Amino acid sequence: MNFKKVMIVYRKELMEVLRDKRTLFMILLLPVILYPVLIIGFNAVMSRQTGVLEEQGATIAIQDSVNTIVSARMLAELSKIEHFTLIPAAGNAQSLYNNKDIQSIITLRDSISTDGLITYQIYVQYDGTNDRSEMTFAKIRDALMATEKALVEEELQLSGINPEIMNLIDVRKLNTADSQKTMGKVLGMILPYIMIIMLLSGASVVAADLVAGEKERKTLETLLVAGVDRRDIVIGKYLTIITLGMINLIVNLFSISFSMQYMLSQAGVDLAGAGMPIKAIFILLAAMLPLATLFSAILLSISTFSRNMKEARTYEQPLLMVSMILAMISFLPAIEMNNLMALIPIVNIALLFKAVMMNDYQLSHLFLTIFSTVVLDVIAIWGTIKLFSTEGILFRSEDDGSSLKGLKRGDKKRAQVFFSPYNGMIYFVLALLMLYYLGTYMQGRDLGSGLLMTQLIVILLPVLLVLRVFKLPSKETLRLKAPKLKEVLLVPFIAISAAILVALASQLINAIYPFPEEYLKNLGKLFELDMPMWRSFLVIAIAPGICEELLFRGLMPRFFEKYGMKVNIVLTALLFAAFHLDPFRFLPVFLLGMLLGYLTLRSGSIVNSMISHAINNSLALIMIVFASSSWLKLFISGEDNLRYWLAMPAILILALALYMFHRITGGKECVE
Amino acid sequence: MISVQNLMKAFPQKGGDVFYAVDDVSFSAGDGEIVCLLGVNGAGKTTTMRVLSTIFKPTSGTATVQGWDIKTHPQEVRNNLGFLTGDTGLYNRLRVHEFIRYFGRLYSMQDDAITRSMNDMAELLDMKDFMDKKIEFLSTGMKQKVSIVRSIIHDPPVMIFDEPTAGLDILTARNIISFIRSCKERGKCVLFSTHIMREAERLADRIVMIHKGKVLAEGTLEALREETSQVDLDDIFVYYVNQYAGSAAEGAKVEAHEF
Repeated sequence: MNFKKVMIVYRKELMEVLRDKRTLFMILLLPVILYPVLIIGFNAVMSRQTGVLEEQGATIAIQDSVNTIVSARMLAELSKIEHFTLIPAAGNAQSLYNNKDIQSIITLRDSISTDGLITYQIYVQYDGTNDRSEMTFAKIRDALMATEKALVEEELQLSGINPEIMNLIDVRKLNTADSQKTMGKVLGMILPYIMIIMLLSGASVVAADLVAGEKERKTLETLLVAGVDRRDIVIGKYLTIITLGMINLIVNLFSISFSMQYMLSQAGVDLAGAGMPIKAIFILLAAMLPLATLFSAILLSISTFSRNMKEARTYEQPLLMVSMILAMISFLPAIEMNNLMALIPIVNIALLFKAVMMNDYQLSHLFLTIFSTVVLDVIAIWGTIKLFSTEGILFRSEDDGSSLKGLKRGDKKRAQVFFSPYNGMIYFVLALLMLYYLGTYMQGRDLGSGLLMTQLIVILLPVLLVLRVFKLPSKETLRLKAPKLKEVLLVPFIAISAAILVALASQLINAIYPFPEEYLKNLGKLFELDMPMWRSFLVIAIAPGICEELLFRGLMPRFFEKYGMKVNIVLTALLFAAFHLDPFRFLPVFLLGMLLGYLTLRSGSIVNSMISHAINNSLALIMIVFASSSWLKLFISGEDNLRYWLAMPAILILALALYMFHRITGGKECVE
Repeated sequence: MISVQNLMKAFPQKGGDVFYAVDDVSFSAGDGEIVCLLGVNGAGKTTTMRVLSTIFKPTSGTATVQGWDIKTHPQEVRNNLGFLTGDTGLYNRLRVHEFIRYFGRLYSMQDDAITRSMNDMAELLDMKDFMDKKIEFLSTGMKQKVSIVRSIIHDPPVMIFDEPTAGLDILTARNIISFIRSCKERGKCVLFSTHIMREAERLADRIVMIHKGKVLAEGTLEALREETSQVDLDDIFVYYVNQYAGSAAEGAKVEAHEF
C-alpha cells in the first residue's frame, strides 16, 4: 500500500464530496436543523395544545340523586374549576353527551353500610380515547378528592382526632440516580438507534457516489489506468466514507444532545450538572468508529458491485432494514450487555451506547465490541478490494436475461418472464408460509404421516402445479435427467464424507454454544417414530431427497440464474437453510445446501443431489437404528457423538471425490 | 513501443459460454510511429486497448509496453502509458487544473513538474481560457481536451487513444489530430483506434485491421493498397472483411456503403 497515493485519492474525494451541495446539506446542515426544529417545535406545539384544551373547558351535566349538604359541597368544588360549566342533567343528557355537546355526565349516588356510614359513589362518564375528555376527568377527580379530604379532616376534628393522621405514612423518594444518569437513561434509549441509523444513512449518501457514481459517469476507467494501485483507490475512498460518516455522526450527536437537554429542562427535569460528559463522548466515538468503518466497508462493496447509483441505493435498503432492527434492541428494557451480545454487530454498539450513557459499562465489553467489529470490518474491506479487482464486477454489462440452459427455444421466452429473482422470493415466502401453517398443522396431528404429507403437499405439489400453470416443461426446468454413471458412483463418497463433516461441525458448535435441551428433545422425536424401518426410511430419507430437491435444486435455482452459478448456489442454499425454520441447524443445512446445489448445477442432473440428500438423511437414521451394534461404536463415542478423528478421512475423501466430480462434469451443461 | 503477442481476451457469458472479444491478436508499434486500429464498432478495438492498459487481464498471450509485460508489471506499464478512451467522463465538481493535478499526483509527479507539463499542453491544445473553470461548465470538445491532458500529463513514451475524435466538431477534431502528430514528432509511440477511414488514412503510419476480435491485415496504407489493388481505405477494409467472411463461410458479402 502506498500511503501517499491513498491520501491523494482521499483528499480529492473529500474535496469533491464537500463541493456537492446536496451531500453537504444531508451530512452537515440537516442534522443541525432537524433536531432543534423537531424537538423544540414539538414541545412548543404540545404546551400550546394543552393550553388550548384548558381554555376549551367543559360543560358537565350533573345528576344529583343524593342532594345532601355533602353533595352540595362536592358540586361547589366542581363549579370552582375554571372554564367548567355545570348544568343539571335533563332527560336528554345522554344524547347531548353522544353529540359531544357536553363533555361529561356526573351521577352522584350514596349508600349506607350496616354500621350506618354513608358513602358516596360518583359515576363520571368520559371518553378514554379523547384528550379533552381525559383532562376533564382528571380535573373532576382532583376536585372530588379535595372535597373528600376536607370532609374527612372535619370529621376527624369533630371526633377529636388530629387530622394529620391522614398522613400517617408518607413515602418519600430518595433517588440515587443523579441527573446525569436520568438524562443518560433517556438518551440511552433513543440515541443509539438514531445514531446507528444516522451513521448508516450519512455514509450511504457518500458511498453510492464513490464507485457506482464513477461507473455511471464513466470516470472509473480513467482512475484505473492512472499510476495507482487499485488497493490504494479502495482505501482512499474507504477513508472518505468513514470520515464523512463520522462527521455526520458527530454533528448529529451534538445537535441531538443539545436539543434533548433543552427539552428536558423545559419539562422541569433537574439537570443541574448534567450534560454529555466529555469522557462519555470519547468512549462513544471510540465505539462508533469501528461501526463506521464496518458500514463504510459494506457500503463500498455494495457501491462497487452496483452498476449505477440507483442500483446501489436499492441494494443499500436491506442493510438499512437489518441495521434498524438490530439497533432497536436499545429500546428493549430487559436486554443488557454481556460477552455474547458484545459479539453481535450493531447490537453490541447499541447496548454499549446505552450502558455508557448511564455510566454503567465494563471496559471488557468495549474492547470486545471494538474487536469483533474490526474483525468483520477487515473481512469486508478485503472483500471490497477483491471485488474492485474483478473485471466482471467493475464492468458489469446490462442484464440480457438468464440463459436458462436446457430449455427449448419456444419455452425460453415464457420461462424468462417467469423466472425472475423477484418471483423467486415471492414463491419462497409463500412456500414458507404454507410450511409454517399447513406443515405444522399436519405434523401436529401425526408426526410420521404429517412429515410425509408436508413433503408431498407443501413442497412437491406447488412445484408441479406452478410448472403446469405456466406451461413450463417440468423435466427440463427441474433438470430431471439421468446422470452419468461416473457421477452416480462418486455421489455416495461425496454425500457420506460431507454428512460426517457437517455433523462434526454441528457437534463443535454444540460444544461451544450448547443447544437448548428442549430443542434436542424435539429433534430426537423425529427418530423415535413408532413405525416400521422402511417407513422411517421413506419419511426421513426418500421423501425429502425427492421433494426438497425438486424445490431447492430444481425450481429455485431457475429464478436466480442471471446471477451466475456461484451466487445462485449460495442464494438457494441460504433459502434452503432458512426453509428449515431452525436457527441451530442453519449453518449445517446451509453447507449441505451449497454442496447439493453444486452437484445439480454442475452436472445438470438433479438426480445426483437427490441421491446425495437421501444418503445424508439416512445416515442419521442408521446411527439411531444401529446404535447398539459394536461396529458403530468405532465411530461414535458417548452420547451419539461422532469421533473427531473421522474428520481426517472425511476431508480427504470429500476433496478427492469433489475433484473427480468437477473434472468429469466439465462445467458445460448439455444444451437440449 | 508496444508489442502484442497472440493476445486473447475471453468474457464468460451467462450460462457458461465464452465470447472471445480479442482472438489471437498480434501486432507492434514502434517509437515515433502512429499505428491505427481500424475496425467497425464491436470489433474488439477497445477491449484490446483495455488489456494493453491493464484494466483487463488477458486470458492468454501477452503484450509489452515499453518493454514491461502487462501481466507481470502492470504498475510499470501504467507509468509508461497514457490511455484515453472515447467516452470517458470527468469529475464535474473539480476545476480543470485541479483535475489534471490529481492525475499528475497519482502518477507520482512533483507539483512543479505537473504545472510545467500542464501549461505546455494547454498551449498546444488551445485551452488556456478554461483552465480555472469547473469541468461541469465545459463543452464536449473542451472536455475531450482535458481528457487528453489527463491521460498524458506524465509524458509517457506510449500513448493509446481510443476513438479520440468521436463526437467532436471539426475544428476540435483537427486540433486533436495535429496534437497527436506532434506527439509522434516528439518520438512517442502512438496507438489509436477509429472507425473513421479518413482519419486513419491521414494519420496512421501503419494500419491494423481488426474484425470480430481477429487481425485481418496489417501494414502501411501503400502496402495494403498494393495487396488489394484498391485505392480507397473503405474498399480495402471491405475487401478484407469479405475475404474473412468467405474463408469463414459466413455467407453474405459486406457492401461498401455500409461504412
